[in-house]
Amino acid sequence: MSRARALLTAVLAALLLVTGLARGAEVRVLSARVVAPSELRLRFSAPLPRADAENFRLTHAEAPDIPIPVSRVRLTGGNRVVLTFGQRLMPAEHYRLELADPPLARDVRPAAWALLLSVMIAAAFINNFVFTRYLGLCIFFGVSKKRDTAIGMGITFTLVMIFTAMVSWALDTYVLRPLQLGFFQIIVFIGVVAAVVQFLDTMLRKTHPVLHRKWGIYLMLITTNCIILAVPLLNAQTSNGPLDALALAIGSGAGFALALFLMSCARERLEYARVPQPFQGLPIAFALAGLFALAFMGFSGLDFFR
Amino acid sequence: MNLHVIQPKPKLSGREIARIVLSMSVACLAGAAVLGLVYLGTERYQRASVEATERGAIRDMLGLGATARLLEVRQYLVPGARQVVYRAAPLGATAGTAHEVTFTFDGALAGEREVPVAVPVGKEWTPLGRMFVATQAGRPAGFVVQGETHGYKAPIRLFVAMEPDFEIVDMRIIETTDDPGLGAEVAQPWFREQYVGRSAEEIARLDVTKDPMPEDWKQALVAFARRAPDGPARHRELLQRERTRPIYAVTGATISSRAVTEGVRKTVDHFRRRWWLLAPHLEGSL
Amino acid sequence: MSTVLHPGPAPSARQLILNGIFAENPVFRLALSLCPAVAVTTTVLNGLLLGVAVLFVQVLSSLTVTLAKRLIHPRVRIPVYTIIIAVWVSAIDMSLAAFAPALYAQVGLYVKLIVAFAIIISRLEVFASRQPLVPTFFDGLGMGLGFLLALLMIGAFRELLGSGSFAGIALAPGKPLLFFALPAGGFFSIALLMALFNWIERRTRGGKAARAKSAGGHGV
Repeated sequence: MSRARALLTAVLAALLLVTGLARGAEVRVLSARVVAPSELRLRFSAPLPRADAENFRLTHAEAPDIPIPVSRVRLTGGNRVVLTFGQRLMPAEHYRLELADPPLARDVRPAAWALLLSVMIAAAFINNFVFTRYLGLCIFFGVSKKRDTAIGMGITFTLVMIFTAMVSWALDTYVLRPLQLGFFQIIVFIGVVAAVVQFLDTMLRKTHPVLHRKWGIYLMLITTNCIILAVPLLNAQTSNGPLDALALAIGSGAGFALALFLMSCARERLEYARVPQPFQGLPIAFALAGLFALAFMGFSGLDFFR
Repeated sequence: MNLHVIQPKPKLSGREIARIVLSMSVACLAGAAVLGLVYLGTERYQRASVEATERGAIRDMLGLGATARLLEVRQYLVPGARQVVYRAAPLGATAGTAHEVTFTFDGALAGEREVPVAVPVGKEWTPLGRMFVATQAGRPAGFVVQGETHGYKAPIRLFVAMEPDFEIVDMRIIETTDDPGLGAEVAQPWFREQYVGRSAEEIARLDVTKDPMPEDWKQALVAFARRAPDGPARHRELLQRERTRPIYAVTGATISSRAVTEGVRKTVDHFRRRWWLLAPHLEGSL
Repeated sequence: MSTVLHPGPAPSARQLILNGIFAENPVFRLALSLCPAVAVTTTVLNGLLLGVAVLFVQVLSSLTVTLAKRLIHPRVRIPVYTIIIAVWVSAIDMSLAAFAPALYAQVGLYVKLIVAFAIIISRLEVFASRQPLVPTFFDGLGMGLGFLLALLMIGAFRELLGSGSFAGIALAPGKPLLFFALPAGGFFSIALLMALFNWIERRTRGGKAARAKSAGGHGV
């Protein structure tokens, strides 16, 4: 086993070396960053043969026919170039940079990881699926009575959510959209949910019967959870790419787990409170959820990467 | 879901399995058939209602009368050839011809022809945007242009309505995401109305400030948005004072406010340049 | 969750409808399908649209199942019910998008989510798969009406207090208690209305029966 691994590592290293050497000869854009108010900072892998204003062409991604005028080019050390433009540049916008010599093109947009993280945080806190979008309530009120069940459901749900969302995304992008079968979305998505739940249930029963006895029931309940269907629908609605879809799935699952956990902690304490008769059971749970929703409203101004 | 006690399931005979498979297949096929029929039946109406909503929104934004005609110009990108193609046809037309004009990225004319409206565009062509030209008595009476900008999360789509001299008449934000919280703040009427009445040059130099909005300006904007009888007068009066000042951001949504301002600026600027190239070629369609 | 099965002779139409509206009201009593109850009830019109959509889906699904109950193999009945519901939901979704686009734009996502409602599939399992055509129709109608009325009530409560209007017609000068138009207020509105229903139930039926049937949560 270890000899095979050593051989594989050697082959990979050789490949990397070869490609690295081959690519080392040409000039590449290593990084492109928009710095307010109107600068674009570039770093190249090697010195540029030409560094005058006509060599660079920057356009908005959706307006490639309208170049943004370059007002100044400055060469700072270490293969860095700073372009100043006659117009304000926004870090959140998508631009496209083209060079004439050497012929290069590069998309200039916010770092993907920053965007994905912000999608995840938005899904988990700012737009928490339970407290802000009111989805998944049926299961929410049923499962949040005890902390253990809440944690179990939260974890199970997040895992199923990720799996389901990615499969649904793939089906929507590669099958439904190209064939113009958008109206099958609902059936396909709920079918995926049912199939994933069934598959996981069977797998869990075969591999970990103890776990299955403990958590199996949550799997069955997930099928009627609104969130599990809402996330694929939202992904389809906004035509998200795969990473965005994944980020939304993780964020929504985490948000739901968080909501369940918080609610269960509070409800356990509620057992010892004297609740008026008409409010006993669900009504007081709803009121409690309302208080949490109020608290979560505080996240609405949350803004990370500026 | 009704949860029974989990009983051990007996093994199925071959015939049982066949019956189950048949049952499921019939259900799936019947379902697909029903859905297909409903789709065919409603698709036409859906397209018609989308178009009617658009038409109504455009007329509303520009304040058009019933005699105005709407020309829709769609822009496409031809990726390999570094060209943009414009197709102009009356809004909602399903018959007749569209006027197609092709330009290179440098603004040189690369082709002009008439194509039947029904002919679809090339598969590799990327849609870049849509513009609507309202004409009355053969001359432009206003423009409504679709624009897009990036907020901190999802793209914000907006429509900007302009007079023939590119002064802004109205601006609407189309929410693309199901966002009840932060993103929706910038769709508030009093924020949107700040852009109205500013000329294209003022829009190009527009900035955004976090300072609180003067109360009288806010009241005037709210009244203007609500179409109160004295709204336009108050708005015009205070606009003279506010013209030179920046846009007041929505509290807690500075990023979105800046994004929208950039979106409006971009939309107006891009449209002016494109219209300058296009207008001579569309004389016949107006 | 309703555990009352209906195996015997079917109750009358009037009984079924009243059952759906009061005794087994899906939102206030059975506490099923709560997601839309909070989400779309910011205004009366939104609640009306979704309530009507659910009514149609419920009735159509119930009728389909009761007509096809001999063809559905018991081992796969849940997937088949799901397919039937999904088909009707898609059909209603497309119809609404085509014929009521303005309203649909606000509740579109929630119409699509009807397919995940526990109330519909539980009704199919509990009633439609065992009873003949006519009682099933009235049961579906009753449940749908109960849901619709619940949404209308919550919608009216939230819109009157939160936005000072009813069905879009402004009644009060400002927004009296904007809180109720917000998500948190939605939760509180339902809490209050549910408690009200419980209280009425106790008063009309007397102590013991009410305590046995009070709207508790799912017993998980």
